[in-house]
Amino acid sequence: MNGYGYRLGAIGIISTFFIIIFSTVLMPMVLFRPDPTVTRNDYQAEAKVGDPTRGRRVYIREGCFYCHTQFTRLQDREYGPLVKAGDYVYETPHQLGTARTGPDLTNEGGKYPSEWQKAHLIQPRSVKPGSIMPSFSYLSDKDMNDLVCYLQTLGNKRTATQTAYVEAPAEYLNSTALGFALHERKHVDTNADASANAGRGLYTQNCASCHGLEARGNGPNSISLTKKPANFTRPFYKQYSDEMWYYRTSEGVPGTRMPRWELNLTEEERWYIVAYLKTLPKDVEATVDSIDQIDPIEQIRLPKLTKQQYEPHSGGSE
Amino acid sequence: MSGLLDKFLSNGEGSASRNFLVSALLWSLFGMGAGVFASMEFYNPDLVHNIPQFSMPHLRMFHVNAVTIGWLSMGYIGSMFHMVPTLCKNRLFSERLGNFTMWAWNLLMIGAFCTLLNGNTEGREYAELGAVLDVMAAIALCTVTFNVLMTVAHRRTKKLYVSLWYFLGSLFWFPLVYIIGQRTFVFLPGLNDAIIGWFYGHNILGMWFTTVGVGIMYYLIPRYTQAPLYSHGLSMLGFWGIALFYAPTGTHHILQSPVPEWLKAIAVISSIFLLVPVLTVLTNFFMTMKGKWGQGADDLPLRFAMTSALFYLMTCLQGPFQATRWINWYIHFTQWVVGHAHAALLGAFSFILTSAVYYALPRLTGREWHSQGLIRGHYWLKFIGFLIMYFSLTVAGLVQSAGWAMGIAVDQWANQLYPYWFVRAISGIMIVTGQAMFCYNAYRSLYSPRPVDVTAKTREVKV
Repeated sequence: MNGYGYRLGAIGIISTFFIIIFSTVLMPMVLFRPDPTVTRNDYQAEAKVGDPTRGRRVYIREGCFYCHTQFTRLQDREYGPLVKAGDYVYETPHQLGTARTGPDLTNEGGKYPSEWQKAHLIQPRSVKPGSIMPSFSYLSDKDMNDLVCYLQTLGNKRTATQTAYVEAPAEYLNSTALGFALHERKHVDTNADASANAGRGLYTQNCASCHGLEARGNGPNSISLTKKPANFTRPFYKQYSDEMWYYRTSEGVPGTRMPRWELNLTEEERWYIVAYLKTLPKDVEATVDSIDQIDPIEQIRLPKLTKQQYEPHSGGSE
Repeated sequence: MSGLLDKFLSNGEGSASRNFLVSALLWSLFGMGAGVFASMEFYNPDLVHNIPQFSMPHLRMFHVNAVTIGWLSMGYIGSMFHMVPTLCKNRLFSERLGNFTMWAWNLLMIGAFCTLLNGNTEGREYAELGAVLDVMAAIALCTVTFNVLMTVAHRRTKKLYVSLWYFLGSLFWFPLVYIIGQRTFVFLPGLNDAIIGWFYGHNILGMWFTTVGVGIMYYLIPRYTQAPLYSHGLSMLGFWGIALFYAPTGTHHILQSPVPEWLKAIAVISSIFLLVPVLTVLTNFFMTMKGKWGQGADDLPLRFAMTSALFYLMTCLQGPFQATRWINWYIHFTQWVVGHAHAALLGAFSFILTSAVYYALPRLTGREWHSQGLIRGHYWLKFIGFLIMYFSLTVAGLVQSAGWAMGIAVDQWANQLYPYWFVRAISGIMIVTGQAMFCYNAYRSLYSPRPVDVTAKTREVKV
């Protein structure tokens, strides 16, 4: 090789490097700019009690992110809804984390009382026997209060305390731009018999193999599934709103074999399925053979829902 | 005045390299000691109480920084300062500048010791150092680059050996990666911060530890075996493969977070393509070693290098495997990944650096190693200790990933990990003991008042 070859090599090294910098560092900064979602965390939820922003700095200083992550994955259960890109707009430096030696903290806010959190920081094994979390008893009272405040803001807008537990995520609701656009596009009347009838065909083709023809979660495939398909005749499902049904149908259920039907079915077809699912009977409901037997005053009474009922596999950690 | 100058910024040939290697040995004791301390706290979380400096997260961040920035990086620079002039049949451009960098780097490490153990961190993994220390590290890296570049520019050989390609490439890439990756003075929205953070977090391995480590392997293995390199063409293929495929892989660390799918696709595909340079490089080594594996029985530094190459193979087969979505789905967030990180940094690159120190120090100082028995002990303690650590972490990772995948609450399976934490702590003690033997050996070789061994090997190329 002559001197020209080395020059070529040097140009090669430099240009390769800059192409890669361009494609994996600069391009994401330009192309990937998610809008803040309503479930983002701006650390203001507990601002009256302490200083969550300062608590976040304590969280970083004490290196919590080495053992606790802050993003939920599709297969994670008991850690709340799947995170969206816009949830992280105000997170600098990011605290996504790399290893879960302890539980995920994405939606930690509101899971435990603040007293519990503080006791857990001072001596983790006093409230969680067998925990290997180090004791942070050396933190000053102010540090600890702010840290607990920060923990309580985590995912606060995503938990049950502020909204009904079975409400669909914000982007399906009319209150957000995305949800509004969704409802603008929707032309299926989910209360109409014709829609339910159309949905029944789709249900038979796509859903019945697991959920069963009567939607009792006993389709032929359910035999081989560890996590059994949902029984839609349970009273629990009678509180589902259209948006919630649509959300579950579209995005599937994390941790189960329930697929993301948005990959296979059009929006119209999913709304038809929603219309059908709403007509399913309640399992204790007597079948009536005459319209006169129906008591028009009877209302469906919703049970008071706990997290265990919502996520049956939460393991009773509370 | 000039006496002081010569004492602290010596101009003696090889002094910068020697000082860097000795400092690296010193910081390795701190770094590995912090690691084993943290691992004991995994087994017994109430081991120390109420001392923030010994809290597990603080020890962990100091462990990572002392081992990467202190032990490996300083050792790499020391090795380069020895190998680059030898390959150029030349002297280092400026020993004074090299020694100045050495002091700056030690100051940086003292700063890291004082800040990280108190938790003064930026909260970014692998980029924990604060703003002042970041600037210092960037300046020190640029100084090293300048020094090595000027040495190569004044070389007396025509061809550049492949090690020099690797060293020059790393020294061009790494300061830039470091500066981009620190994000000290920029505030990016969360996921962009994560993307750039993992661009840096992976490339500190890919564009620094791997490339310099492979360059050292290319230097050492033909030297030990007295055999010519099997193929120059293959080595070039490996070099360009690493340059092309390593840099974009960072996003595979956040494969399941809501970052753009195209970025994940780039990361996964280039991770799999990494098999090309890795297998090329290792084919080259193993063909060079052909018929000479037996030499490892007597030649201990060669044995370190061989072990390093085998662990490198293991790490790099594992890496693309777990970067695929199907495996990452199961493995991510667990101690499996920690085991993989130790396989790369301890198994592959710490071993090759150890081999380089065993090779270079006698040639730099003209003193033979104090004791071959200590080297033997070091090898076996580190080798067995590493294997125990790797397998305990991997199995612990499989227990954890089963827990996450089955949706079982953490408190129900966390207790099952105690045996693995215990075994890991034991293996850590073995590794630190080995490293302490290494340091003691170096200390006795360099500082015990013995007549200079006239038969000791010296540098191959005298100027």
